[in-house]
Amino acid sequence: MSRRFSLAILAVLLAAVGAMPARAGVVNPDISVLGQPFMRWTNDGSDPSPKRVTFDQGEVEMIYDAYLNPYAKGFFVASLASDGFALEEGYFTLVRGLPGGLALKGGKYRVNFGKLNPMHPHAVPFAERPHVLAAYLPGDEAFNETGLSISERIPLPGTFSLTAAGDVLQGDSFRTPREFSGATNDPLIAGPETGDRSAESRPAFVGLLSGFGSIGERSGYELAVSGTGGTNNVAAGTRTKVYDAAAKLKLWTSANSYLLIQSEVLKLDREKAGWDSVNSTYTVTRVQPLGGYLYADYNFSPRYDAGVQYERFQQPTADRTWDQAFGAFIGLSLMEETTSFRLDWNRLMPGTPTGASEDPKAVDTVTMRVIFSMGPHKAHQF
Amino acid sequence: MKTIFRTLAAVVTLLVLCAVPCLAAGKLRVAASITDLASIAGLVGGDQVEVFTIARPTSDVHHVEVLPSYMVQVSRATVYLKVGLGLDQWADGIIDGSRNSKLMVVDCSKDITPLEKPTSVNASMGDVHPFGNPHYWLDPRNGAIVAKEIAEALAQRDPAHARAYEERAEAFAKAAEDTYERGRKLVAGMPVRAIFTYHSSWVYLANAFGLEIAGTAEPVPGIPPTAKHLQQLVDIAKQRKVPVLLQEPYFSDDAGKFLSRQTGLRVVKASPSCDGPVAGSYLTHFDTVLRLIAGQSSDAHAN
Repeated sequence: MSRRFSLAILAVLLAAVGAMPARAGVVNPDISVLGQPFMRWTNDGSDPSPKRVTFDQGEVEMIYDAYLNPYAKGFFVASLASDGFALEEGYFTLVRGLPGGLALKGGKYRVNFGKLNPMHPHAVPFAERPHVLAAYLPGDEAFNETGLSISERIPLPGTFSLTAAGDVLQGDSFRTPREFSGATNDPLIAGPETGDRSAESRPAFVGLLSGFGSIGERSGYELAVSGTGGTNNVAAGTRTKVYDAAAKLKLWTSANSYLLIQSEVLKLDREKAGWDSVNSTYTVTRVQPLGGYLYADYNFSPRYDAGVQYERFQQPTADRTWDQAFGAFIGLSLMEETTSFRLDWNRLMPGTPTGASEDPKAVDTVTMRVIFSMGPHKAHQF
Repeated sequence: MKTIFRTLAAVVTLLVLCAVPCLAAGKLRVAASITDLASIAGLVGGDQVEVFTIARPTSDVHHVEVLPSYMVQVSRATVYLKVGLGLDQWADGIIDGSRNSKLMVVDCSKDITPLEKPTSVNASMGDVHPFGNPHYWLDPRNGAIVAKEIAEALAQRDPAHARAYEERAEAFAKAAEDTYERGRKLVAGMPVRAIFTYHSSWVYLANAFGLEIAGTAEPVPGIPPTAKHLQQLVDIAKQRKVPVLLQEPYFSDDAGKFLSRQTGLRVVKASPSCDGPVAGSYLTHFDTVLRLIAGQSSDAHAN
């Protein structure tokens, strides 16, 4: 039923895109629909179909955006995937009218933390986000929360851009389920909502300081530091904090080619709640792993690009084993982002946990994505 | 963590208090999407304005990346001159990102009669602009219309010099008319007035000066030349003795080299935009490009 409903909504939206292109942005919002089907092969033993090519419809994104009035803009991203229809983002931004160049954003959004997290997967040259982000950041597919963000462009001489931002978030994505101890006095026996009060709200906070400097006419670099903190278990009062330092460099090597290098280093500080059945109290252990990724993407013409990625990070476990991953990717775009074919390979080499008798097997994954979009194409932001 | 947030909050508060527009002393700061609009604004505004431009003449104005440094520049501007007709949609990102609530945004296409306005449009036609061909500044008579719009905008922001802006716009219109007449005479003297262009950027130039665009290297706007399409151009060039391919500097040389080899035509590389945001640059650019097309300049490049 929900699948039929989702498909009916998609059909209506597609009809809307086709019917009103000339008026888009005048009285109607700009509407873009983006498909991302993919083929995948992996030798991961935990995958339902290891060593077989699987096809997946991927996620369909429907993007709406428009000015709401002279001061504010609205933005919605709805996604349709095999697991149903969801609001991925929905927020307003006050772009002008506030004193001193402040901007205010409110609603549900991909949190402006680090450099890669705010980007939608279709804008990233590889299929899966770096393992280190998946391991350290709150949220299942991205650090995506409901909240309020205020940012200020700090006036400096010259053209260096420095922006400071702070967010207050609902904080639900920080919750991590605690393993049931099995003891009869463990509050989890009553379920997570009653026992660990997992449904109670606890705000999370984000701070970001980001600077951009230009190199010549078109090239530039960006440096950013960000930090976030939230409660992962309300009853135990344990918290998760993540710190991030990001760097991005884009160098135009000719009128139509450029090299992009991007890296992030993350530090996770997570308190993990447990249960001491003898003393009938929560226990707290702490993990503080470190990790990061680096990728380089060379766009050697407006149509073609190729690149490599590398990451190395500690698992957020007590022994903090070091995992590594390598990857390579190539892409072809027929005409800007209207139709792109992206092939990438990723090899994850898990570290050997303390006491293990043999090394875990490396996992290879090859993904071929087709990204196609209809509707207006927005300007690319650095 | 609390310390970090407190520090950030203190920094933001301090900066809000001291964030005042940094205006050039006594001058209106005028930002423009392209050098041509900036050049016209420089002439109309005279000593009362300071102009700067976002897109460089050597890069494709269709694809300008929104850099935070542009937002910083525009945050200090009083007036922003947009090309409009859907060409510089990227300017909206810069304008919004500038957070400049006092910025006056002028769509310079407001009083232009666009050419090639399609009755219907879809993506199979390539990168077609639904509101018409947006390269209207390549007709000096449209430059005069833009100058009038700019004069009106400057007058709103600086009423004390309204008369001066109006007079300079009128003087500019006369100079634009002279450029137009001079160009018409030059093209009229060409034995063959048919040319190829790489992209459909030069429609207004051809329309103004009496050139005929016999074909474009791109089969449809935004799609690189195909072998089949280039062969068709070779046939046309041979039949009609097309002497010139007019090409922007940021497109690939391959098609031009092929056509030149097959038909002997000259490849003239010229930017659709003038070389700098300075007064006089806009009208001089017409003379330069037309002389190159007519083969009256030994240099095969403009910009």
